[in-house]
Amino acid sequence: MSYRWEVLRVNLSTGSVAKEPLNKSWTEKYFGGRGLGAKYLYEELEGGIDPLSADNELILATGPFTGTIVPCSGKLAITTKSPATGMILDCSIGGCFAPQLKFAGYDMLIIEGQAEKPVYLSIDNEKVEIHDASHLWSKGIFETESQLHEEHGMGAVVLSIGPAGENLIRFACIGSEYYRQAGRGGIGSVMGSKRLKAVVCSGGKDVTVFDMPRLLELAKKAIREDVLTDTNLWAHVEGTPSIVEMSNSSGVFPTRNYQDGVFAGAQKINADSIQKLRPHKKACFACALGCGNYLCVEDITVEGPEYETLALAGANCGVDDLRAIAKFNADCDDLGMDTISLGNVLGFAMEMTERGMKDFGIRFGDVETYLKMPRLVAYRKGVGKELSRGVKQLAKTYGGAEFAMQVKGLELPGYDPRGSWAMGLAYATASRGGCHMSAWPVADEAFGDLDPFTIEGKAQLVITGQHYNAIKFSLILCDFWALSMDTMSEMVSCVLGREVPTANLEKAGERVWNLLRLFNVREGFKVADDSLPARIFKDPLKSGTPAGRVLPREQFDSMLREYYQLCGWDSEGVPTPEKLKELEM
Amino acid sequence: MKHKVGVDINNKQKDRAVAVMLSREGGGNMKLILDSEKCTGCKLCELACSAKHQGVFNPKKAHLKIIDQYTETGRETRLKSCTLCLKCVETCPVEAITFNGKWLVIDDGLCTGCGDCVDVCPEGVVFLNSEGTAAIPNFCEGNPYCVEWCPHEAIHKEEDVA
Repeated sequence: MSYRWEVLRVNLSTGSVAKEPLNKSWTEKYFGGRGLGAKYLYEELEGGIDPLSADNELILATGPFTGTIVPCSGKLAITTKSPATGMILDCSIGGCFAPQLKFAGYDMLIIEGQAEKPVYLSIDNEKVEIHDASHLWSKGIFETESQLHEEHGMGAVVLSIGPAGENLIRFACIGSEYYRQAGRGGIGSVMGSKRLKAVVCSGGKDVTVFDMPRLLELAKKAIREDVLTDTNLWAHVEGTPSIVEMSNSSGVFPTRNYQDGVFAGAQKINADSIQKLRPHKKACFACALGCGNYLCVEDITVEGPEYETLALAGANCGVDDLRAIAKFNADCDDLGMDTISLGNVLGFAMEMTERGMKDFGIRFGDVETYLKMPRLVAYRKGVGKELSRGVKQLAKTYGGAEFAMQVKGLELPGYDPRGSWAMGLAYATASRGGCHMSAWPVADEAFGDLDPFTIEGKAQLVITGQHYNAIKFSLILCDFWALSMDTMSEMVSCVLGREVPTANLEKAGERVWNLLRLFNVREGFKVADDSLPARIFKDPLKSGTPAGRVLPREQFDSMLREYYQLCGWDSEGVPTPEKLKELEM
Repeated sequence: MKHKVGVDINNKQKDRAVAVMLSREGGGNMKLILDSEKCTGCKLCELACSAKHQGVFNPKKAHLKIIDQYTETGRETRLKSCTLCLKCVETCPVEAITFNGKWLVIDDGLCTGCGDCVDVCPEGVVFLNSEGTAAIPNFCEGNPYCVEWCPHEAIHKEEDVA
């Protein structure tokens, strides 16, 4: 029930299109989305493969809630091996692609191999075809989508890459519905390496659930009494820009390449400023919230800027001009590039330039040069050629590793761990490198009631968040609905027609988290890699509540040791055989 | 309210169209309207509709469609639903579809599943159900389920006053 029990497997090297049954026993342990995608990837990839070779796969996974009326269930998980980090990478993308894939009859789409020339894939229920894409190659995401809508109808949903993905930029993303992205880790360059410009999908099949009347009751109650309450409504009312104020006032708003945590121009780019330019809100499929900041300013239309863009491409570059950030955002969306990583790279280049360590020709707050960067980087032109390598590689060549704000090759997002110590642990242990989507303890520390400057209880706080998100993103639900595990259990039991108690979901979350770790262990990642940029340990923050604070190295180390211990991992960070047995792996 | 009559319809259909027109003058015609400022394009209404009437989730089997897309000039959000144009009533070769003065009614016993009504519906909100007979929008007999489900109160039902 609710699964379609079919996987669509497309090999771009051979041109073969095959349908196979979904592995039922894996769905019982990993459900869908992040977990099921990771299970397939772990089993199907050899360790050590080149992420940009034909050996890598792109796994597009739905989950048991996809296509149903369960609120906030419209997301798709795309799993692959990251060219930025060499780790497992799962990105989720909103919009309508996931339900459309399910309505076309498939729980998952697995893309293997590498086409010889540019192609795109179309899925219309049973009819699956690989087409020549030479007329789309080199076009931006906006034009690609419009063109494919003309060819396949407005009802078809498109996933595509822009020039950044084609040019194998290590932080290229995949876009859908113009302004939604599977953003991080260079997932778009994996698609580019396969010479796959786009996937177009439309479907008309039924999605059924075990107990329809009960699900309608549960979903309606959830929308009224849970989703549309203060805990989540910020996403609809102001959206993620509301975090600007929280972050800046608690001193963790990355400013000028993490040199400060308070940005003087914050009020120019906060939710109030954006709200004035926001004529409409847009939701993903089946989402009762609707967080999309559809914004119009002068000639620029964009869905965004979201908090992370405001932080990294705004404060972190010393830019407080909302119009400029919106333009930067729209250009990145069209070129198919992650605004977090590019903003972080530019912040690093600006600091290097200002320190006289390497002149990248760009300085903090230089809006004119800043606006040229997305294009230069996406096409590897001029200074963009160097910048496209990402901060980790730049620091290897030019120095500045201590303030290259990345973990394992993934540029850090918008929360300074010096003012939220658990966030430091979350970054250091995240399954895809410097990422805020594994756990978000900053909500409890800098934005909440917990003391941010102690390690007491923080390892457990991070673990709880990681396991919770691991199951939530497997089911697959949106981050912005802060629902209880009991609610998840009630709904998943109703949809599947078998009792899935909360305890089982908790265990499944832990299982998924361990599987992600096993993948990374197989790739050679160890305790020494679970660390943070030296700036976090050494350079005190300058302003606000965390002024004068670092995250002391020894405190971090003991938090990490406690974390491994509580995870049931050995001192190298490897899951122990006992733990794996307990998790039935 | 004026009713447009197709150019190629025969006399029998014309009679029915006239009858329909007369019945409408009594008021009470129902329609759904969308406040496009409030609609986020979440499609919960479409899911609720197919769930209630067909027992499945499938936007293609909903009696309303939300068109929500980015265009060159910005964003377009609109609703397609039964406008009581009565083309299906006119077209049905076996007179299985009737208009009761408020909404459409189908006699499943008469319907042959020929699909003419599906083809003629300008809004694309008539389809064949899993039994192979026509699924005709009826505003949930006066209490549209989609209205109940809209999280932002963007869909309303409206009744003409005579």
